[in-house]
Amino acid sequence: MTEYEAVIGLETHIQLNTTTKIFCSCKADSWFDPPNSNICPVCSGLPGVLPVLNRAVVEKAVLLAAAMHAEIQTESCFDRKNYFYPDLPKGYQISQYDKPLARGGYLDLPLSDGSCRRVRIHKLHVEEDAGKTKNERGRRLIDFNRCGVPLVEMVTAPDLRSADEAAQYLIRLRQLLRWLGVSEADMEKAHLRCDANVSIRPKGADYLNPKTEIKNVNSIDAVRDAIAKEIERQIREVEAGRRIEAWTLEWDEDSGKLRKMRSKETEADYRYFREPDLLTLHIDDAWKNGILKNLPELPLERRQRFMEQYGLPEYDADLLTGERSLSEYFESAVKAYGGDPKRVSNWMMNDVMRMLNESSRTAAQLQLTPEHLAEILKLLDSGTINTSTAKGLLEKVDASGKAPATIVAEEGLAKVSDDSAIRRVCEEVLTENPKEVQSYKGGKVTLIGWFVGQVMRKMGGKADPSLARQILEELLR
Amino acid sequence: MELCDLPAYELMRLLRQRKISATEILASCLARIETIDGRPGSLEPGEINEEDQQTVHAFITLTDDRARAQAMAVDKKLAAGEDPGRLAGVPFTVKDIFCVQGTRTTAASRILANFVAPYTATPVARMEAEGALMVGKVNLDEFTYGSSNESSAFQPCPRNPWNPQRVPGGSSGGSVASVAAGEAVLSLGTDTAGSIRQPAAFCGVVGLKPTYGRVSRYGLIAFGSSLDCPGPIARNVTDAAMMLQVIAGPDAHDSTAANVPVEDYLAQLEAGVKGLRIGLSPDYFKITYPDERGEYVQQAVPQEFEAAVRHAADLLAKMGAEIIEDVPMPNTRYGIPAYFVISRVEAASNLHRYDGVKYGYRTMEPVRDLNEMYRKTRAEGFGPQPKLRILMGMYVSAAQYSEQYYQRALRVRTLIRRDFDQAFDPNGKYRLHALLTPTTPTTAFPLGAVYGDSVLMQYADQLTVPANHAGVPGISVPGGIATDGLPIGIQFLAADYQEALLLRIARAYEQATEAESWRQLKPMVLQR
Amino acid sequence: MSEFIDRSTFDHLVHLAALELSPEQAEYLLRELNNQLKAIRELEAIPLDADLPVTLHGVPYTSSISPTLRSDDWQPFDRPQDILAQAPQAEDGYLIVPDIPHTTLE
Ligand SMILES: [Zn+2]
Repeated sequence: MTEYEAVIGLETHIQLNTTTKIFCSCKADSWFDPPNSNICPVCSGLPGVLPVLNRAVVEKAVLLAAAMHAEIQTESCFDRKNYFYPDLPKGYQISQYDKPLARGGYLDLPLSDGSCRRVRIHKLHVEEDAGKTKNERGRRLIDFNRCGVPLVEMVTAPDLRSADEAAQYLIRLRQLLRWLGVSEADMEKAHLRCDANVSIRPKGADYLNPKTEIKNVNSIDAVRDAIAKEIERQIREVEAGRRIEAWTLEWDEDSGKLRKMRSKETEADYRYFREPDLLTLHIDDAWKNGILKNLPELPLERRQRFMEQYGLPEYDADLLTGERSLSEYFESAVKAYGGDPKRVSNWMMNDVMRMLNESSRTAAQLQLTPEHLAEILKLLDSGTINTSTAKGLLEKVDASGKAPATIVAEEGLAKVSDDSAIRRVCEEVLTENPKEVQSYKGGKVTLIGWFVGQVMRKMGGKADPSLARQILEELLR
Repeated sequence: MELCDLPAYELMRLLRQRKISATEILASCLARIETIDGRPGSLEPGEINEEDQQTVHAFITLTDDRARAQAMAVDKKLAAGEDPGRLAGVPFTVKDIFCVQGTRTTAASRILANFVAPYTATPVARMEAEGALMVGKVNLDEFTYGSSNESSAFQPCPRNPWNPQRVPGGSSGGSVASVAAGEAVLSLGTDTAGSIRQPAAFCGVVGLKPTYGRVSRYGLIAFGSSLDCPGPIARNVTDAAMMLQVIAGPDAHDSTAANVPVEDYLAQLEAGVKGLRIGLSPDYFKITYPDERGEYVQQAVPQEFEAAVRHAADLLAKMGAEIIEDVPMPNTRYGIPAYFVISRVEAASNLHRYDGVKYGYRTMEPVRDLNEMYRKTRAEGFGPQPKLRILMGMYVSAAQYSEQYYQRALRVRTLIRRDFDQAFDPNGKYRLHALLTPTTPTTAFPLGAVYGDSVLMQYADQLTVPANHAGVPGISVPGGIATDGLPIGIQFLAADYQEALLLRIARAYEQATEAESWRQLKPMVLQR
Repeated sequence: MSEFIDRSTFDHLVHLAALELSPEQAEYLLRELNNQLKAIRELEAIPLDADLPVTLHGVPYTSSISPTLRSDDWQPFDRPQDILAQAPQAEDGYLIVPDIPHTTLE
């Protein structure tokens, strides 16, 4: 029986998080606005209007292109892609065709087996979004609010080999987009959209078979499910001796099924030509370098460095570089702490990230600063507080923004290491529990832990437990 | 002489001296319109009667209320001692291809007949901000597609004030007719292949096509986006200079409006032509066109056209200009074929947006689905000329023909541009300051004589279209009256952004011919 | 004249252009198109150097005269309702058009 492998390419549309649209001064985001309220003569395609390119769109696209290791073109051009659709008010989309903003590039995907899949990028260009339409009782309702929202279209080579890899690509892309701050990359809000081209071939073959295109997949799970279903279907078809036809498929999220869409126009019918209303876009070195000054260390680079520089396991490094401000938080905390980075990592993965998840915040939004975290760890190391106090302090500092030492002082949270105070409580405990004292003295020495617990309970957790144990053992001797 | 026949500069002088009011100036224009314009163009004109054939029909929409309010505002400012603006009190018309907020903006097409623009085109806004009075929106060829105005969906179409049996030219026919007939003092037109200069020549007025990008296109309903230029139409060179002064300059709404400072066009206007090098080209004294069998025929322009040009050259030489003969402009003849391709590709795309969804006309017929709505709307809304441009644009831009036609036409455009580069190169062989040519190969033709033959109609632009391909500025000024009693236009062309120089040369010529007898002749409609 | 627009090409163009034509109009337009094509074919005879570049705008746009790009500042258009008011059919802020034709899905 033949073993098959999937050949998958993804076409992604990324909504840039600029303030305004690509060619007019309407705001880019109208998620909460009533229909057709965030429009102007330009984006609603009135007769006589002209596009004026938003500088921030170019800058964000350049940043993304650089992060994708793509070659930024010193000259690129805008073209008109002509077609009729009611969500396209001008009857053409302003896009880039043969002279895009960037060429080439790739994104590396670390795979679960420790290897790495390099996914090449064919083309990266900027274009305007269309509006939205919806069906209602045999009519179409049209909203132009989204017209002119800036998009970057990025098309990968057919380098992905499974539904999981496709999902991984989107996860890594989303991470990168947020890391760079160029897109909110929220698939539910269509900030990140994806069409998948899927074909199969016998494993190891080097030719390409006819592919199908899956449209309308708007979550990472949906991408994984839809591609997996389509791979299964194609294998079934081929096994049954049928040919795969170049269909366009639509993913119906509710039913979890793929449906065939009607054949779309061929590319020749778009009659691309240069947009005469816009000039050639020149990105000279000075401008480019100015933009790239803001290019941060990329997630995978930082992940590698965390492993090498801080000796973190891959698991820790991956988690801590999942989001840019988290990774920066970690490094600041390590620096302020000065001790074992792994200890900082443990506290972040166990406690800080739980706090983030529970409150849906990013590390940058915490009131608990990296310096606070470092200070708490130091208090713990010096024996000033115990572990449970330290954990409680995280929440208290985050809630109040006060320095940990201040809270410790105000609330008297420091471990009681005053010999006489602990000795008094120890004596009390022993007096109150003669039966247990009897047992202990009879040889049941494991009861020492229970006595320590009683002391701690009476002292509200503040006692230094090792000191308490020492005194109890002395008194019981 | 009535106020409406005075030059803008004279009206403004009288106005500032408080000898007349803006309201009086406007009243004079409105009275003239009432007397000679006849009924405005409409979609349901009925029969064209005897009277219709004697009147001008420049207008589609009269905006007299708007103009009255503007005139009152000017008078109020004057009374208060405030500066009323650089075009205060000057009545002007706007080719109905510019959006003006709150007015019907039709492009002379059924498909936009009920469109009320929600915003104002930059050049119109600039004129209104300087106190000019917008009298109305004037007729044109449908979407500017023509050289006679006969293709307008709004009939009766404009007629030539010099002889109402003749076309006014086009596509800015309503603009030139309104200015020639004293219905307005200035008009804002557009020029894609000669649409300002050709009708200006036909109607004996001054028409200036500025450098591409010198005047913002924002609000101009696009035809050939890489060719379209808004520009002034006036009865004298000084008025054209004053108007250009106001409308020229960069605009944040137009990415192709060059960031070049606007010169003071009036400062050098009277500086004369001494020492200027003005060229004549044999390639502008003939036209080349295909006959019925597709064979190319070369024909000299009529003798009296060449004579008018040579007479102008003589006058300029007398004033100290150096006349350079035999400047080669060998690619002039390719202007029309290249234009057939480039303008159609752009036009077809620009017309995509008229689909019955957002504005304008939507079919009244019952439709099964969206595609049928598109088809019926566009079939009923567009006249034959837009349809022709759409189909040709679609054909020549299809991927398999793009190299053969569109890319090739764009490269031929490079050759046309090079002709001008070589002629105007300050270090080159010719070092011209301007090229002097006839504006058109004929005087205004009779209504119906050419209309319908889309090829012959296009060849009327053969001497004007090269400047559009090259982007350079050109001006047409009255250069005499032909034996058929109709105006002849002569054209000056100059290098990029050399409008000041063009106006200065045109003004020198205008001054030199002030005493010539043809200057005293008046359009026929004003003689009744 | 090796190449003319034949009837089936013409019909395809009409379809792409979202038009429909009466027979008389179709006849006129097809004839004029072919006449124009004759004129356009003059371009084919022009010898062009292989490296002759295209010209998109006649005027060269050097960096010093090219307008700067727009800064990313929000300036809302204050009359979106005037835009909507031009629509042949609108309801509750939406533009309305007839449904888009679709084939039945399997
Ligand atoms: Zn907008």
